This record gives sequence, structure tokens and C-alpha cells, in this order.
Amino acid sequence: MLEVKNVTKYYGNFKAVDNLSFSVKEGEIFGLLGVNGAGKTTTFRMIIGLLDVTEGTILLDGKPIDYSVTDKIGFLTEERSLLIKMTVREQAIYYGTLKGMKEKKIIERLEELLAKFGISEYIDKKIKELSKGNQQKIQFIMAIINEPRLLILDEPFSGLDPFNVELFKNEIVELSKKGSIIIFSSHRMEHVELFCKKLVIILKGKTVLEGYLKDIKEKYQKKNIMIKADIKKDELLKIDGVEEVTEKADELEVKISSSKIVDNVFKAVSKKKNVTKFVVEEPSLNEIFVSKVGEAYEK
Amino acid sequence: MKSKLWFLTKVSLSRKVKTKAFIIVNIILAVGLVALFNIDSIIKAFGGDFDEPYKVYIMDNTNVSYDILSNQITETAKTVYGDDNQTFEVTKYEKSKKEALNETKENGKVILLEINNDPTKVIKVSLTTEGYLDTLPYQILYQAINTSKTAIAVASSNIDPEELNKILSNIEIERVILDETKTTDDENMEAIMSTVFPIFILPFFMLTIFLIQMIGMEVNDEKTTRGMEIIISNVSPKTHFFSKLLAGNIFVIGQAILLLIYGGIGLLVRILIGSGSIINGLSGDLGNVFNSLSTSGIIDKLVYIIPLTIVLMLLSFISYSLLAGILASITTNAEDFSQMQTPMMLMLLVGYYFAIMAGMFKGSLFIQILSYVPFISAILSPSLLVIGQIGVIDVIIAIIVNIVAIYLLIKYGLRIYKVGILNYSSKDLWKKMFKAMKN
Repeated sequence: MLEVKNVTKYYGNFKAVDNLSFSVKEGEIFGLLGVNGAGKTTTFRMIIGLLDVTEGTILLDGKPIDYSVTDKIGFLTEERSLLIKMTVREQAIYYGTLKGMKEKKIIERLEELLAKFGISEYIDKKIKELSKGNQQKIQFIMAIINEPRLLILDEPFSGLDPFNVELFKNEIVELSKKGSIIIFSSHRMEHVELFCKKLVIILKGKTVLEGYLKDIKEKYQKKNIMIKADIKKDELLKIDGVEEVTEKADELEVKISSSKIVDNVFKAVSKKKNVTKFVVEEPSLNEIFVSKVGEAYEK
Repeated sequence: MKSKLWFLTKVSLSRKVKTKAFIIVNIILAVGLVALFNIDSIIKAFGGDFDEPYKVYIMDNTNVSYDILSNQITETAKTVYGDDNQTFEVTKYEKSKKEALNETKENGKVILLEINNDPTKVIKVSLTTEGYLDTLPYQILYQAINTSKTAIAVASSNIDPEELNKILSNIEIERVILDETKTTDDENMEAIMSTVFPIFILPFFMLTIFLIQMIGMEVNDEKTTRGMEIIISNVSPKTHFFSKLLAGNIFVIGQAILLLIYGGIGLLVRILIGSGSIINGLSGDLGNVFNSLSTSGIIDKLVYIIPLTIVLMLLSFISYSLLAGILASITTNAEDFSQMQTPMMLMLLVGYYFAIMAGMFKGSLFIQILSYVPFISAILSPSLLVIGQIGVIDVIIAIIVNIVAIYLLIKYGLRIYKVGILNYSSKDLWKKMFKAMKN
């Protein structure tokens, strides 16, 4: 288990991370979310030991993370961290050996992963000769080449098309099934929702929201109702608790402030003709994120 | 962690050695050095006989000057070029002046001296050549003519021949130096070595510059590609730092050995093509310098000068590589590092210039103190030792000071390196570094 306990980080007088706490169990995929400059990368760097924490502790399986356990960690940085003058093979041997792997095992694993990502033909190509998307694939392969116990992914999907996002996702899920602890950040909430069970949203280094995605959505009072009926926007907006009504194709999306309002809306709609759809939906993570971050900014 | 250190060192080394640039540079160096060691054969292969002596034709219209002048030219040439040297072939010219001028015009090696009586200055001499005459042969002839003029003047004064010999014989000076540690051989060598030794040390100068650039650029390269974050998340900054130092130093030492091998091949080629010793192959002034060196006893001194110089050079390589690594870690791009390396180049140059100037400021306390200073001492100390301005003990002091400097650079430099390699902003850079040093 990864435990981040009351971690604070100062850069001079600037507090980059403020009393951050969360834990990630074996096989869990954890999302660390926040706007730019929220402290995500700093948190990752502290976990991996690139930065010292000012206060607090970070433990992996109950022990502090030091160079005795870094062989078990995989790290994908937000920016490209490949030595572009090397070939893919050389790069894999380089990073794999630094993870304590034997060359034979590295090549076997590399060939397997390159085949999975459909880029086997690039094994002896220099990294600088590859496209941006393929470089991102290689960077991801380097992060998981050691089948890490703890995998840290900082914006893993940047620069990827939907097809490759799916490939990455499958590999991440597979690793989690094998028991890896996976922690990642992304600006794309739909990616987080795809396979993230637990998350924390941070703003200016402080926790804004933390917990299992299911619980967060349940606790979140605001809901969306999708309606297909002969009813006008204005009629819905007159109901107390209806915050916003948006026309989407031949439907109306009604945002309500609380699940208690559902009955009132249903009563109003049921009086109308041609009611073919009335579905209460959970809000998207994106909505929760925007809402929570907005609230935090207002404070 | 130890195996990772060797792995990083091995990768770093192979990244340097497996480049096309390394192979091309070494081919050029090998060819260049072999050519340099056989330069006389190469020049001669394109035609011309550069060992041909000057033919000095003396047209003696005084009837008393030829023997004296001929003798003086031979003696003066011996003092400059040595006993075996045959730079001048002196002949009494009996034909007409017109024929003499024709021969002079046709042969660039002919020097025509026409001597006439002069009522006010004893003799009058005209020196005719086809083109320019080098300074040294001109000076030898000038001195010989002047001495001859004195001899002719004295002889015409009806002085006893025995007395005349006494007057004309060279004076012998008994040289006494009260400082027992200094010898007259060293005195002669001082002026020569202050010029020659910095030339020998030039490859060290070049290799150091190479080392600084190589370490700086490699650290910078890993840093700017952010590969550094992955590396440092797996090995400590200390391991990474030492791997760069090891790889850089092994590489330059290897390159120095390769240079020696290329030089050896050059000598071997020389022997095989029958050009003989390198000293004999060098013509003119430089050849004389080498001749003087080999006969002066300097070779005996090299027994301790070479090991001390090698130790100082190795320590300087380490100091410069430490400094280059530290400075590279705090820069954010290759341009910044290029600026940072300028002071290091300047330090090297200071050592080099002082090594050349040491002969002009004999006994300077300032230069002696500078010879202990790390970064400079590898060039300055051996140069001063060779010319006898400092002793072995001073070089040992320089070695100790170097070791202390390396210890301090490792102690404080590592702290800077640890913070610097993961710093991507130049904002408050120096503040961050001073803070890192204190921690």
C-alpha cells in the first residue's frame, strides 16, 4: 500500500503542497487531479524521492521510499524523459538495468510490449526519429518495463489518439489486476472516469475532495435529468432547485441542485404529452471537478 | 548501487566512443601525428635539399683576410650549431666578379663575400645573395667578419704572433653558482625550457578543455531531455555524478594514451623509412634545442618530473571534471553551460601563460604561490620545476592542495549537484545553490 501522510512541501516561502494525505491499496488505480500548478507533479516527485518532503511521511508497504525500493517503481514524467539519441533497444536496456533487470529479461519484456503497442519495427530506431505519439508509447513502455509494484503516471495520455488511449488503459488495468499500485494525473476527466476507482482533487496544494469515485458521485447532491417530452425550458426553470436547462439534440438536460428536486421535476414533466425519456444521471467527474475547484477558488 | 555506477559509467563511455565524431577525430589525430613525426621526409618527398650547406665564396681583394675570415666563420658556426654541424662551406673565390655574381644568381645557397681594403675601417665587405638570407646565418657571418677585422687590424700592427694568438683566443669563463641546488646546466636550460615545456604540456591543455565540454554537455543533455528525472529516481545523484566523472576521466586518459600510441607509430614509421632520430630530422633552431636538451642532463630530471606531472595532471582532470559537472548541473541549457565554462578556460590559460612567463620573472613569489593553486598547478608547477624555480617539495605541496580542493569540491559540490540537476529554472539560482551548500 502507498501511504501519503500529512505531506507538506515548501519551495522557499511558497507552500506547494499543504498537508496532503491519501492512500492507495494494492491493485487500485488512483487519480491525482488538479488544475495546472496544483501540486500534482511536486507530489509525484516527493513520492519517488526526487524531492524531499518538508513535513509528513510517504510509505510504500510500510517503509519509506528510498533507493532500495526504486527498482519496484515505474515513473512516467509529464514531459518527454527519453534520451533521444539512443535507440529504443538501448533506452530499454539503460532504464531496465537501472531498475535492476537483466538484459535478457529486458529484451523479452520490450519485445512483448512493443508487439502489444504495434511498434515492434522501431526496436532499433533512434528515439528522435519516432513520431510524438510513438515516443509517448516508448516512454510508457519504459515506465512499465519492470512490471512495477508502484506505477506513477504524470499525464500519461497527452498527445495520444483515442485508439492509443485504449491501449494504454488496457495495459494499466492489466497491471492493476496483477496487484500494481497505480497513481496518475490527467486533465482529461473522462480518462480518469474510465478506470479510476479512487481520487483526490487538489488545489494550490490543498485537498479539495478525496475518496472513492462512487462515493463522491453519490455524495454529490447535484444531478442531471435527461428529458424527452413536450415541455419548454422556461417551465422547467420555474421549478425551485433547477439550476440550468440545456437543449441537447432532441433532449433537455436539466441540472438540479439536489436529488430531492427529482420528484418536483417528474411531477411537472408527467403532466406533459409525449414523455419518452426521463433519466436521472450521476454528474460527470468533469462537472464535479469544475464545481469543487470553483468553490475552492471562491473561498 | 555499485553495479549501477559501473553500468552508468560504461554507458556514458560507450556513448562517447561509439560516435562517428570520436572515430573521425582519432583518424585525423593518428594521421596528423604520424605526419608530424615524419614532416621532414614528407617535405623532402616533394623535392628540395634542405640540408645543403651555404656555399660561402670569399673574394679576398686584401690578400690577408681569407684565412682569418674562413677560420672565424667555421668557429662561430661551431659555437652556434655544434661541432658536427656543417652549415657553411667556405671557399676562396679565384674567378672574376662577373662569374661570381652569375653563380650567386643561379644558386640560392651561395653567399658571396667580397672583401676590400678600407683606409678608415680596415676592411670593407659586401655580402651578396640571390634572395633573402636567414637571420641566424647572417648574424654568424656578421660576427665572424667583425672578429676578423679586429684580427687583421691587430696583425697589421706588427704584434708578436704569440701575443696575437692570445688576443684572438676565446676567453674561458669559470661559472660559479653559490646555491648548491643549482647547476650551470640548469642555467642554460632555463631559457629554453620556459619556452619548450609549455609546448609539451599543450595536449594536457587541450584534453582538459575536451573533458570540461564533454561532462558539461552530457549532464546538460540528460537534464534538458528530462531523462535525468528517470535516472535520479533510480540512482542517487552521487552515483550519477561519479559515473560522469569516471567516464569523462577514463575517456580523456584513454585519449591521451591513444595520442602516445599515435606518436609511437609515427616514430616507428620514421625508423622504418630510415629517417633516423627525430632530433636529427628537425632542422634549424628547434633541432639545436633538442640537441641541447639531450646533452644537458635534463633526461635525468625527467625520472621524477614525469611522474609528478602525471599525478598533478590526473588530479587536475578530476578537479576540472568535478567543477564542470557542478556547473553543468545548475545550468538549464547548453548555451548557459557554454558561458559557464569560460572561467574554467580562463583558469587554464592563466596557468599556461604564467608557465611561459615564468622565465621572465625569476624568483617571483607570486608565481610560486600560483603554482600551488588547483586548476593551474598541473601546468605551472612542472614548468617551474623544470626550469629550477621551484623544488620537488613545492610540487608535493601543489599535489596536497589539489587533493584538499577535490575533497571540498566533492563535499560541497555534491550538495549543489543534487539540487541543481533537478532544477529547471534560473530564478534565484545562486540563492538555491548557496542554500544547498549550507544544508
